[in-house]
Amino acid sequence: MRRWSIPPQITRIILLTIGIVTTYLLAREFLTPPSFGQYGWYRGEALVEIRSPEPVFAGKKLCAECHAEQAAKVADRGHKSLACEGCHGAAQAHAVNPDIKTQILTYSHCVRCHEVNLSRPAWHKQIDTKEHFPGEACTDCHPPHDPLESQ
Amino acid sequence: MNTPASRRKVLGRLGGALAGLATLPLADKARAAVQKVFVSSGAPRDYDPTKHRWVMAVDVNRCIGCGLCVEACKTENHVPDGPYFRTWIERYVVTKPREGTVRPRGETIVDSPNGGIGGFKQPPVPAGEILHSFFVPKLCNLCEHSPCAQVCPVGATFDAPDGAVLVDSKYCIGCGFCIQACPYGCRFLNPHTRTADKCSLCYHRITRGLQPACVEVCPTQARIFGDLKNPVENDPIQDFYAHHRVQALKPHLGTDPRVLYTGLDKEVM
Repeated sequence: MRRWSIPPQITRIILLTIGIVTTYLLAREFLTPPSFGQYGWYRGEALVEIRSPEPVFAGKKLCAECHAEQAAKVADRGHKSLACEGCHGAAQAHAVNPDIKTQILTYSHCVRCHEVNLSRPAWHKQIDTKEHFPGEACTDCHPPHDPLESQ
Repeated sequence: MNTPASRRKVLGRLGGALAGLATLPLADKARAAVQKVFVSSGAPRDYDPTKHRWVMAVDVNRCIGCGLCVEACKTENHVPDGPYFRTWIERYVVTKPREGTVRPRGETIVDSPNGGIGGFKQPPVPAGEILHSFFVPKLCNLCEHSPCAQVCPVGATFDAPDGAVLVDSKYCIGCGFCIQACPYGCRFLNPHTRTADKCSLCYHRITRGLQPACVEVCPTQARIFGDLKNPVENDPIQDFYAHHRVQALKPHLGTDPRVLYTGLDKEVM
């Protein structure tokens, strides 16, 4: 009686399959980051990396820690809704090292919001600098921390 | 010739080799070396993303088009100069209907010079022809069903448990599928990193208890930011939901954005 044996072509296919699966499993074991799948089909560690850069804007609260007087003054005047850094520029570097100064304000900053523009909502206070004291600095009359108190 | 005996021998050797490899402490070291590439950073770890649900809202009636948000976003997130924006402002100008036509309104002209970063000049049409005009700040719409996260082939962009839609730039292969998939045009390929980039809700700020840079500098509170899981006293975001009729952009696409707008016009896409 003829002895039964696995045909060589089948053996090769089986060995090849085992080889491919083993390689895949090994590669997956080595290459998948440990945090992959922590929250979903992505690297959980990425959340930590994305939140690792230092902020550039310090935030109003931090500004008020040193500049309490100015912060308190602005808080109940016309510009109360403004952030310090909206006008003075990003200040985290200044908060860490006060020798690094913040931006110096210019006239162009006032008109950025207040120059009359048809696209702006009507409730917003706007002026036409061609008619309203042309050539003079806004801050001569309107102190930025208390803009409605004319000097 | 393949005999059962020699096959058993070969398989036995193969199994032995595999077992040896698995038990070798060297394997652990090798794995650690490979995975070191993916693990790094000394960011604070006391933040639990499952305990927050960040969300943003936009009050179009309050936007004055100053562009401070766009500028602050670029500064805060080191977005490259040029036509790359994580947030930007669009201006809509609706003209009066042309003379002799009986239509409710005329054409709609949309512009966004350099994303509105330096503010806006007067509208591009004469004042007499304008019916009305307004500004619309745009950003990642924080979709409940994000098309960008769905199409990413490598799991590099995802909906974080706290509601932010983020990009893992170490995993991103820069294929650009997500940029095509986003119906709101909120993504771009960063020319420096060659990976997809987008609004992260200033993830490094909000996880430190700060507001996103655009919300921080907005002089009129046109942008409202909050945490749905941790409402605070007089929560601005809850106040916004309570007092406004809201709309989402492109609701027909089924993306179900969590960024809600008030004061939109039918022309805004």
